[in-house]
Amino acid sequence: MLRREISECGRRLLADFPVLRTLREHDRKGVDGMIKIVEGCEEYNRRVALPRALELDQHMEREPDYFDWEIMREGCKYHIFSLAIPEVVGGQASSYMVTGLALAVEELCSACGGIGLALAAHSLGVSPVIASGAMAHWDTVLHEIVEEERKGNPVVMAYAITEPSAGTDVEEPEFLEVARIGMEAKRVKGGYILNGRKCFISGGSEAKYITVCAATDRSRPLETWTTFLVDRDMEGYSCPRVESKMGQRACHAAELLFEDVFVPDSHVLGYEGDGIANGILIIMAASRGPVGSIATGIARGAYEHFLAWARTARNGKRPVDESRICMALADMRAMIQENRGLYLGHSLAGDALFRRAFTHPLFKSAFLIPRAIRASRPYAGFLNSYYGKTVVNALFRYFIKDEDATDMLAKASLAKFSCADNAMELTSQALELMGTCDSEERRWVEKSYRDAKLTQIYEGTNQLNRIAFYNVEIGKTLSIQVPGPLKKGVR
Amino acid sequence: MIGLTSVKEEQEYRILRETAAAYATRELAPQAEELDLESESWRLREVLSKAGKMGLLAALIPEDYGGGGLDTYALCVALEEIGAEEAGVAATLLVHNAAMLPAAIGEFEGLITGVEPDYYPACLAYPGEVSLSGGKLEGVVPFSFNIPDSPLIILLPGGGAGTEAVTVRGDADGVEIEPEPYQMGLRACRAGSLRLRDVEPSNVIEGGGMVEAVERLLFLGLASIATGISRNSLEKAYAYAGERYQAGKIIIEHQAIRLMLAEMVAGIEENRAVISRACYEDSLVPAMSAWLKATRNAHQTVLDGVQIHGGYGYMRDYDMERLMRDAKYCQMYPRTSQEVLLDILELSEKG
Repeated sequence: MLRREISECGRRLLADFPVLRTLREHDRKGVDGMIKIVEGCEEYNRRVALPRALELDQHMEREPDYFDWEIMREGCKYHIFSLAIPEVVGGQASSYMVTGLALAVEELCSACGGIGLALAAHSLGVSPVIASGAMAHWDTVLHEIVEEERKGNPVVMAYAITEPSAGTDVEEPEFLEVARIGMEAKRVKGGYILNGRKCFISGGSEAKYITVCAATDRSRPLETWTTFLVDRDMEGYSCPRVESKMGQRACHAAELLFEDVFVPDSHVLGYEGDGIANGILIIMAASRGPVGSIATGIARGAYEHFLAWARTARNGKRPVDESRICMALADMRAMIQENRGLYLGHSLAGDALFRRAFTHPLFKSAFLIPRAIRASRPYAGFLNSYYGKTVVNALFRYFIKDEDATDMLAKASLAKFSCADNAMELTSQALELMGTCDSEERRWVEKSYRDAKLTQIYEGTNQLNRIAFYNVEIGKTLSIQVPGPLKKGVR
Repeated sequence: MIGLTSVKEEQEYRILRETAAAYATRELAPQAEELDLESESWRLREVLSKAGKMGLLAALIPEDYGGGGLDTYALCVALEEIGAEEAGVAATLLVHNAAMLPAAIGEFEGLITGVEPDYYPACLAYPGEVSLSGGKLEGVVPFSFNIPDSPLIILLPGGGAGTEAVTVRGDADGVEIEPEPYQMGLRACRAGSLRLRDVEPSNVIEGGGMVEAVERLLFLGLASIATGISRNSLEKAYAYAGERYQAGKIIIEHQAIRLMLAEMVAGIEENRAVISRACYEDSLVPAMSAWLKATRNAHQTVLDGVQIHGGYGYMRDYDMERLMRDAKYCQMYPRTSQEVLLDILELSEKG
């Protein structure tokens, strides 16, 4: 077998993440797969993100409605839209799905938090389709994403949870119970009618498919929380406006309006009422970690620009010749390493959980059936039927253990708030040390500073993340229960 | 409404505080977004000319010379009130008055009559590396406020026996002005860099201790503006926290939120204490310390203010993100906090 040459980027990665060196001794293929993904992201940054990040950020301050589709199209070349899509349907996700994604997101966000978010939010949108085991859509929606990506057309997904009067509340079961929810899905013949408003949806204005959370009974959100797959072309769906953000501007935060949108039964992900486990906890358990990577990427970008500034001489003196600057650089590196430890702790735990499913013969055998059959109506009909969902649900319960998913949620919340706080601290400190100097590097760090603030806010505010971490890890009052066996009559 | 302990002040300060607050609410608040986002010079000149009617364009110049005749504390009071609505305009006024300070010290006639439109906003090109030799100015000022709009630039060149301040017309030969391509905060107060090549000064003002006086004013002024920003942030965050429902209650009932708001109140109290004390000292150390403390407090205050607003705080509509950008800039000019700290020790060692 030919030994693959390790690139500059791969060497840096193995040096920065010693755990990958160890892993590589056991699973060279898996780790090299991740290295390849990060190499792609690095090239993307060099070619696409870095040359336009500052200008795009400044442009979108004045024109928030503008969207640069080129950043998405270029992303196709590096398979960024299929990072979270399982290999069995043609995507990149293998035995290191979460870790590969986390490393990729750090790399992308080190160039630009906004462009990184635009690309990462798509994977967040994809995740409910995967985590709910809604395999009927794997061979249609996910397959379409993969196929179109190959042709260079980005098909984008977004995940819509937040509502105008409920942000933090819809991210945590304890609060969902008392949340003021506006969105409702009313049961009708053959499906549901969605009415309401979602806000701050990253990438919502560009998405072709939107995974939407809604209660089928607003007075009992906890028991009736359900995830729907909405197609942009569905009647009654619209995106009335996007926000003017302080940072991460390259990715829109959109308001989504649902006016009597009919969603057929086949587009319920999982089943009615399992949204807490499938739609919130597992997704949050999977996605808060990557927000830690976003924060780490932003912090690393700021650090790199700060270092470049510190090495540039002005009037014959370099800031880095002063010991106080060297010590600050050491502090910054420490924060970045600390973040990496936290988000890797989460993503490796996540992979342990998903790998069990993705590499299992039982799981793989389901994909031995030719794709033509899998994508056919009768097969999808079977998967969407009571029996189909029972089989998927049984598989789910077989592969995913409550305690593993709960552990992942704890690690995710921890990584999220620690990484975000570190990123804010690092970017703040860097600007304080640079002052109002006349330097391009300062403008980059200012952007990182603005970008970093959002990481303390989205995916549940850092305050909520702390409460969640306490509840799961210390207070032991919250745990994930993988959806139980289906009862007859549940859709 | 959240009520801060009112400041016990002599009547003249109280009246000025009220006048400045009224000016800020009437003239600045309605166009705060435009001042931040568009910052065209006509808009700025318009609000400045109105500030001029309160005597704020020649605040520190004695009344006998046609100035406002205010002391440092009075100017700080006005800047705090104006900074509580639009910190960029407050910064413009501060830099303008700091630029006029050498004229007040040097009793220079040509300038101190100048509240005419020709003279504002004056630019204090500082700090930089500028030298005056053989009657010509050479050098670079990498970052300074008011530069792109300024008809009149005041510099504090090193060297030149006895001479401490010189003035240069903004359109003089050899003056190259490069507007800052992207300025994060205090944007009404436009920044840029300045390069001087063989420039003949239009005036030379002689006097002593001008650099110290100008620095002291910048530190105290920025500390006051930062306090204004903190107050604005507290008021907005308090109001929002009283409306927003989350996690089973109005969020002001959550301890995490109450602690953040309490820190804001404590920070503002602290700022006012250090600033008013430093205003009555001529030396630099108290002013520097006040600046360090006040800008740090303000920075934490706005970060928490945005956090309390959640996603809304991050969006332009709620006006919190502007405060965050402004507060950070108060902390970055005229020098970095570590440089100032090192100076504090050095000055203290001299006694």
